[in-house]
Amino acid sequence: MSEQRNGHVRIGVYICHCGANIADTVDVKAVAEYAATLPGVVISREYKYMCSDPGQELIQKDIEEHAINRVVVAACSPTLHENTFRGAAERAGLNPFFVQMVNIREHDSWVHSDREAATVKAKDLVRAAVMRVYFHKPLEKRRVPIHPEVLVVGGGIAGIHAALTVANSGKRVYLVEREPTIGGHMAQYDKTFPTLDCAACILTPKMSAVRAHPNITLWTYSEVVSVDGSVGDYKVVVKRKPRYVHEDLCVGCLQCIETCVYKDSKFDDEFNLGLSKRKPIYIPFAQATPKVVVIDPDACIQLKTGKCKKSCMEACVERGAIDFAQKETYEEIHVGSIIIATGFQTFDPRRMPQYGYGKYPNVYNTLEVERLVNASGPTSGQVITRDGRVPKSVGIVLCVGSRDENTNRWCSRVCCMTSLKLAHLIKEHTGAEVYIFYIDMRAAGKGYEEFYQRVLNEGVHFIRGRVAEITDWALDPSEAGKLVARVEDTNTGFVRRIPLDMVVLAVGLEPQPDAHEVQRMFGISCSLDGFFLEKHPKLAPAPTYTDGIFIAGLCHGPKDIPDTVMQAGYAAAEAIALADTGFFELEPNTAYVVEEECSGCKTCVPLCPYQAVTFNEEKQKAFINEVLCKGCGTCVAACPSGSIKQNLFEDEEIYSEIEGVLAYA
Amino acid sequence: MERQIRYQREADLEWAHRFTQHPGCERLLSCIQCGTCSGTCPLSIYMDITPRQVIAMVREGFRDDVLKSKTIWLCASCYACSVECPQKINITDVMYRLKREAIQNNVFPKRFPIPVLAQEFCEMVRRRGRNSEFWMVFRMALRSNPAILLSMMRTGWDLWRTGRLSMRMERIQRVNELQYIPAATKEVD
Repeated sequence: MSEQRNGHVRIGVYICHCGANIADTVDVKAVAEYAATLPGVVISREYKYMCSDPGQELIQKDIEEHAINRVVVAACSPTLHENTFRGAAERAGLNPFFVQMVNIREHDSWVHSDREAATVKAKDLVRAAVMRVYFHKPLEKRRVPIHPEVLVVGGGIAGIHAALTVANSGKRVYLVEREPTIGGHMAQYDKTFPTLDCAACILTPKMSAVRAHPNITLWTYSEVVSVDGSVGDYKVVVKRKPRYVHEDLCVGCLQCIETCVYKDSKFDDEFNLGLSKRKPIYIPFAQATPKVVVIDPDACIQLKTGKCKKSCMEACVERGAIDFAQKETYEEIHVGSIIIATGFQTFDPRRMPQYGYGKYPNVYNTLEVERLVNASGPTSGQVITRDGRVPKSVGIVLCVGSRDENTNRWCSRVCCMTSLKLAHLIKEHTGAEVYIFYIDMRAAGKGYEEFYQRVLNEGVHFIRGRVAEITDWALDPSEAGKLVARVEDTNTGFVRRIPLDMVVLAVGLEPQPDAHEVQRMFGISCSLDGFFLEKHPKLAPAPTYTDGIFIAGLCHGPKDIPDTVMQAGYAAAEAIALADTGFFELEPNTAYVVEEECSGCKTCVPLCPYQAVTFNEEKQKAFINEVLCKGCGTCVAACPSGSIKQNLFEDEEIYSEIEGVLAYA
Repeated sequence: MERQIRYQREADLEWAHRFTQHPGCERLLSCIQCGTCSGTCPLSIYMDITPRQVIAMVREGFRDDVLKSKTIWLCASCYACSVECPQKINITDVMYRLKREAIQNNVFPKRFPIPVLAQEFCEMVRRRGRNSEFWMVFRMALRSNPAILLSMMRTGWDLWRTGRLSMRMERIQRVNELQYIPAATKEVD
């Protein structure tokens, strides 16, 4: 029956020694001799290194001279060399999907020591492959074209760098940022470790470059609301929230802020983490990009009640940039690939009440102190506690919301270096005694250990121990009016009480609160910690399991600025390479619906992890988008009428493989 | 002077391994030696070694050092350390296990009132099914530090005068039936 369908089957079997890797444990000669006796096998050979050029030429010659039309290679894992042997077949004019690999290295010789049994196992596996390959069909790889445009989601340093890199290669980039300005967390930092160059000085030129770049369309105060399609052609809808100011008309003169009916700033300034106040009409910070004001609808009298004398509008009467009637708009774009750089949030230390954050005014988190030491911050760079004193002793508590089974298990990677930097800056600004409470000092990075040495030599106290609690309860007159950290100094081996004027909690980094919604919308995965999952932890740390979607920066996991920039550049390079290739090749191992047999029960539709199965209401049949299908086989197994089939995993292929592996030699 | 250095032959690694199998001691190996337990412990002010060091010694198999320490007897089972531990180690349970082993191996500090109290309490309940405070405190003081009785006389007198201290030796009926319970647990151990 099948011979009719597949023509005259002539199978060639090739057993690889892999040097000594296989040959030491498996009697390759015996396997080759055995394979020659199997039905359909015309040629059976063994060779020292099948993957070498002579090895591949062996296969090619047999295909040409002996009209071999099925190839079984018993060697290593298909993840390593399937493409090698498929290529060899293709070069000899054979459809590459007539090649089947048998893994007798990882599955056999490497995991067994009994030579005799390992040889029997190798024979079984080869027999299964021979019986399977009999039924293989020629398949074609499909190509989908790639739109050259790229969408970058998130305008922090990762998004900025990725957008600039892609734009510099001549491709159009859409950069979408949720906040009124790009810059992200980096714009809030004062200095950067270990070189202590000012964050704003290195970041703002890149922000301006984004704004000025002819290839970048910058949409701030905007959010992606839906993503459809697949690699090469993603249809993305972006919501542009109303800022009640026309971006193209505003020149950033800030007259409107001055004339606002609120004479005093009354509302918490998000950029300074509430350490200073702003008006309902504001600009996040001086170098905000775009330099366009924004009106807070929850604070503006006109937007809340409609009864304001609108002095801001009067101030802007010439340009007429202010428009209280502005509504949200939606933009639809088509892009070939997407770079997600949505960043992180800091751990809320209120979840650890023993540290008194929110209870004692002089307990800060690291981000707040970044603003305090910043010359353009709320105190113009003066380190003053909330009760107006210059602190004489400052304690920095590490691993707050990191390395803790009760909160977050992971190490947040940057807090050690951030704390060293802040210790240095606080000492420089105030001359205070600075204590760093740490569990392990992690200063791995270029120039990091040297910076640690520098801070050690500045006389900062390094106390190895995790602070148990911060209280204002004085047990000794010397502690009166101060906060006290109770901690075991594990280096000296005793418990200490250290009075402090100011406590800085080095808060850990966690996924954005809406990371799971973003993950679902883009069809990517999260690891257990909630950060987005990369395709391979070592060799593909920016691509995801969804083709054409890349991740960069802290949405993927905690990392410092250099690592973020590197990953962003890498993601950009992948997106550029994809766009330049112009097409994307799909593995043909996809599932397909035999429409005549489909009963339209819709069982398969919700099961697909890649949203590849849709339901055609007109025909009342399921439909599988080959471009989205990853060939996982879930729908194939679930279909009650057996009407979903999968290339390379057809029933007769699988059944004969099972029969082959179970048959007795 | 006593030798402070430890030779590796003194470390009982097999004991350390077995220790982590006991209920409550399973997460011992995940300790990152951060010292939160010691920092939280309200009794750490009197301890000879800190709870963190107890865990380190157990893990490294220095059985005799750890069983001899006063720390395990000072633990008041307030569970503050277990609540705060970033690795969710049941430090209190570890302390209990160590107390047990110290008694079994007879290496606890002999005149230290806490193990004496524990023993006297158990013994009294085993024998009479009830605890008579006066006699228990009396016996504890005799075995640990008889001189303390003198300083406690005034308090004792006041308590007795106001009816807060009874010298009656109480007991329950059919105490032999109660004795099955401790006997059964011994078998399990």
